[in-house]
Parts: sequence; C-alpha cells; structure tokens
Amino acid sequence: MSRSLQVRNSRSLLTWLPLVMLGGFLFLYGLMRTHIRHMQEEQLKVKQANVWSAFGAGRDNFTRQISGEYDIVNVDPGIVDPLIHPRDTTLYAPSGKKGAVFAYLSQTHMLAGRAYRVTTYTSTEEFNHLLIKVFVAEAIIFLLLLSAIVLINRKASRRLWAPFYETMSAMRKYDIRENETLTLAAATGIGEFDRLNQTLGKVIDHVNRAYKSQKQFTENAAHELQTPLAIIRSKAELLIEDPALTEDTALLLSDIIEANERLSEMNKNLLLLTRIDTRQYPELQAIQFSDMISRIVGYYQENGEESVRDFRVSIQAGLMLFANAALIEIMIDNLLRNAMVHNVPGGYIEISLTDGQLDIENTGPVLEGDTDRLFERFQKGKDGSRSTGLGLALVRQICQLYHYDIQYRHKQGIHSLRIVFQGPDF
Amino acid sequence: MKLLVIEDEPSLLASVLRYFRQERFFCDSACSYTEALQKVEDFQYDCIILDINIPGGSGLQLLRHLREDRKEDGVIIISARNSLDDKILGLDYGADDYLTKPFHLPELNARVKALIRRKYNKGNASVDLGQLSIDLSSRSVFVAGQLVSLSRIEYDLLVFLSTNKNRVVSRQAIAEHLHNGPADQASNPEFVYSHIKNLKRKLKEKGCFEIIHSVYGLGYKLIL
Repeated sequence: MSRSLQVRNSRSLLTWLPLVMLGGFLFLYGLMRTHIRHMQEEQLKVKQANVWSAFGAGRDNFTRQISGEYDIVNVDPGIVDPLIHPRDTTLYAPSGKKGAVFAYLSQTHMLAGRAYRVTTYTSTEEFNHLLIKVFVAEAIIFLLLLSAIVLINRKASRRLWAPFYETMSAMRKYDIRENETLTLAAATGIGEFDRLNQTLGKVIDHVNRAYKSQKQFTENAAHELQTPLAIIRSKAELLIEDPALTEDTALLLSDIIEANERLSEMNKNLLLLTRIDTRQYPELQAIQFSDMISRIVGYYQENGEESVRDFRVSIQAGLMLFANAALIEIMIDNLLRNAMVHNVPGGYIEISLTDGQLDIENTGPVLEGDTDRLFERFQKGKDGSRSTGLGLALVRQICQLYHYDIQYRHKQGIHSLRIVFQGPDF
Repeated sequence: MKLLVIEDEPSLLASVLRYFRQERFFCDSACSYTEALQKVEDFQYDCIILDINIPGGSGLQLLRHLREDRKEDGVIIISARNSLDDKILGLDYGADDYLTKPFHLPELNARVKALIRRKYNKGNASVDLGQLSIDLSSRSVFVAGQLVSLSRIEYDLLVFLSTNKNRVVSRQAIAEHLHNGPADQASNPEFVYSHIKNLKRKLKEKGCFEIIHSVYGLGYKLIL
C-alpha cells in the first residue's frame, strides 16, 4: 500500500527509534548498575576498614552491631573468608515490619589470635531510587527526543521535498492539448530534483514535439486532400451535364459522387477536429443557446427523415452560453443528426434543455460491444454509409474544449446523452 | 459579363472556366500573383474569383491592392482555409463573398450571379423564367401573375435552380445550398427529393408544368 513520503518516514522513525532507544536504555541500565555495585563495594570496603580499625582501638566498649551498618561476630579461626563481592540481603528494622534491601560484605579478621567476621552493610534502597529517578528522567528525555526527531524530520522533509511536490502539481495540471510547454524550476537547490525536472522537461518536450507533428500531419493531410477532392467534385459536376450520359453510366457517376462527398465530409470534419485541437476557434461570444437549439430542432423537424417524426421538445427559454457560436452549432447539429440517423422507424427524439444541462434521448438499435468507444474517431454503427464516423468525436472534442461533462447511457434501445455545462465558461 | 478566375490549380481552374463559359461569361484566368496583378490593373472585371493561396503572393494582398486602387470589381474569395480568420479578414479587405473549397460549381455560379445582380440591378430584382417570375426583393414567386405560396426552403430551391437554369445541378449541391448550416453533413438523399416533389406539385397546381427535370437521380435541371 502506498502512503505519503512523510507518513512512511515518520512511521519508520517511530518503529526503529524506540528500538534503538530501548537498546540504549538497557545499556545504560547495565552500565549504571555495574557502577553502583562497584561504588557500593568500595563504600563497604572503606566501612569495613574503618569499623575494623575502630574495633581494634577500643574493643571492649565497642558496639558489636548496628543494624544496617555493621556487625562483628566471633568465628572459628579456621575459616578464613576470602574477600568476596557484596551480596544483597533483606534486613528488618526492629521497629517496623518493612524490610529493606541492603548490600553487605563480610570479611574475617584476626586480632589477638581470635577471628572476627566483620560484615558491613549499606542500603541499596537509595541507589535503587536514584536509578529509578535517572531512568524516569531518561525516559522523558528520550520521548522528547523522539518527538523532536520526528517533528524536525517532518518539517525538514517537507521543505526538502517541496520542489518535488511543485513538480508533481505542475505535472498534474499539465495537459498536452492545452499547454505548449511546461517549465519546471531549473535550480531547486537539490541536485536530484534538478535532474528530475530536467529529465521531465526533456520527456515533455519530446512528447510535445511528437504530438504537434502528429496534429500538423493530420491538418496538412486534410488540407492537401481538399484540392483533389475539389477537382473530383468539379469534374463530376461537369460530367453530369454530359448529354452522352446513359442510365448505366449515370449510376456509376452517382456512386462516385456520393463516395467523393463522403470523403469531403470526412476530410472537413477531420480538419475541424484538428482545428479544435489546436485551439483555432478562439472567438467567444454570448450565445442565445435556447434559441439556437430551437432553431436547429426546428430544422430537423421540418427536414429530417420521414421515419422519425416524433419530437418531444422541452426547452427552457432564455438560456445563454458563452462559447464559440460556430462550434456549439456544430455540436448541437451533430447530436441531433446522430439521434436521427441512428434511430428506428417510428422512433422518437426527446430534447430537453434546462439550466446547465442538455438531454437528448432517442430510440435506436440495441448497441453491441463497447459503448465507451462511441466517441472515438471512426467508430461507426452498422449504418456506416450515412455517417462519417466523426460526428460524436467532434461533439466530445468540443465538450472537452469547454470543459463540459458528457455522459452517455444506453438501455435496451433507448440512448440518452447528457451534456452538463459546468465549465468555467458557462 | 467579364470574369477573372485566379486559381493556381490548373485542373480546378479548367473546371471553373468551363462552367462559366457555358454560362456565356467572358472568362479570363490567372494562376500567379504577378499575372493576376497585371490583369487586374489592365482590365476591369464584373467579378473576380480569387483563391487566397496563389504562388508569388496572397490573394488577400491582391484584394487590398485592388481596393486601395478604388477598383470596384466584385470579388468572391475561394479558399481551402476554412478558418474564420480568413473569412473575416477577406470580408474586411472588401471581398463581397467567401466560399470554401471544395465548393460546388452551381453554388459558385449562384454566388457570382447574386453578386452581379446586387451590383447592377439595384432595386429592380426580379427574375423572369417564361410564365414563371420570381420577385427577389419580396421573396415571392408568380406563375402567370398568380402567387405561389412556397416555404422558405422551396423558395431557395427554386431560386437556386433558376440561377443555374438549363444546367444539371447535383443533388449534393442543392442539399448543401439549402442546409446552409456550418455542419452540412453527408445529407439525407430523401431530403432534396421531397422538397423538389413539393415544389413541383405547388407549381403544377398553378399551371406550371414540367419545368424541373430529374437527371437519372444525379441531380435536377430547370429547363426553359
């Protein structure tokens, strides 16, 4: 699962830093414990020496035992304890029941032929308290350190990655159809990002050039085709006046003319598509949208196919649209034509315009296959001879130009197309 | 009537010249900028058909030169460029009309005739076709003095055929002329047929028979 850099970074810090800190904690604990033991041992030894020398000075009236401090007992002279390391024991004060942990050190000393075992005590309680306090302090410091590291790291990485996020947002906004080039910061202060921007810049340049030359090619090709098409058309128009024409040759000529007309139409639409692509329709104006639709619908009602007579029109009056009038007219014309040509005998066309939304619904043959590709260029229905395969592609192109949302639904022979005019130009 | 056709594509030029010569125009042609400039300066034409893309210069340049010289020749621009800029620029420079390639010859003919009519028959705009007469200013049609009520499309159709009288006008040329929209798509073949049928019926009702003939389904011809 992908998460943001910052989350990942914080997460790994929060996972590993406590572990490292725990290690440090344990090490410190061990270290302190050893040191405290050592200190206790030294203390006990010093006390032992002091007690023994005091005992040696005034043996008779010397108090043999002070609980928690020392005690001196007579032992068998045969047993000589080696100096051993301190051990822990729990002593109970005579007053209370509460026991306390003490470290003690026992040593056997000889004096005037008698053996005495001197045991000195020192409380470990204080040390333990100290240890706990140190560790609490340590833990607080560690926690502070941890949060400081995470926070600083976040802040620093946000600053560090800023050029990256800038590049990303620039890339996201980039649309090859709208922007000519994309200028990314050349010097971000971070070598990697400079290189990233450089590389991206190069890629975009390449893509741009390829896209431009592709568009140029289509436009040039369509443009160059116009002349031969015009020649064929003019020759055909001279030929139909030929008195030597027979019914047979007339039929051939008719087919030639029709094919040529379709070719011209396709060519014209291709040219139109590339021109919309290259933003060659900059003239915007306030369009009396309701009137325009009514007019075009009226035209199709009057001159459309005989088989489709059922128009259900509901147009909210007085709606305006800010766009290129010629393009919008082409769009509406194509939509209605499409609804008419791809209809069934006795079918209907329903047109409804409300504020910000145009719906066109029509009966038609049940579509097979991928309806998503309906708006692609040269996607044709079965009735191929009557359409250029570019009508809906044009509609989509115009919608894209003005950021209109176009939706298509098809359900058992009912085709509904909706355009939502919510772009910045509406 | 004197016509100058400026077009660098020889084959297309030949078609245009042939069509207008059959219309009894006196036709002259030029296929480069210098040749066109020469002819424009030496002669006066009733109408100039001007291609924008000509070798040696631009048609727009020639047009500006013509208007700066205060020459009143009617100019129809024909251009492969379908861009609005060209059209606006052309009309700004003083062109009378604008037609994009590929065009139909009967359409070009209709535009030329309309231009000449605007130029010379100011006010008196009526066409006489035997017993049929068309009053262009009031857009009404009479058969032997009797008014025929036609729809807008039927009227346009009749005028278009009468401008190209005695010639075969292809179905496609009629459709494009009548559609008049920006997206004159490959049009419905029934469309022209049904309008022709209605027009013929209405004329027949007023006693005007057999004036429009179909030519093998290719097109129609108004015969006088």
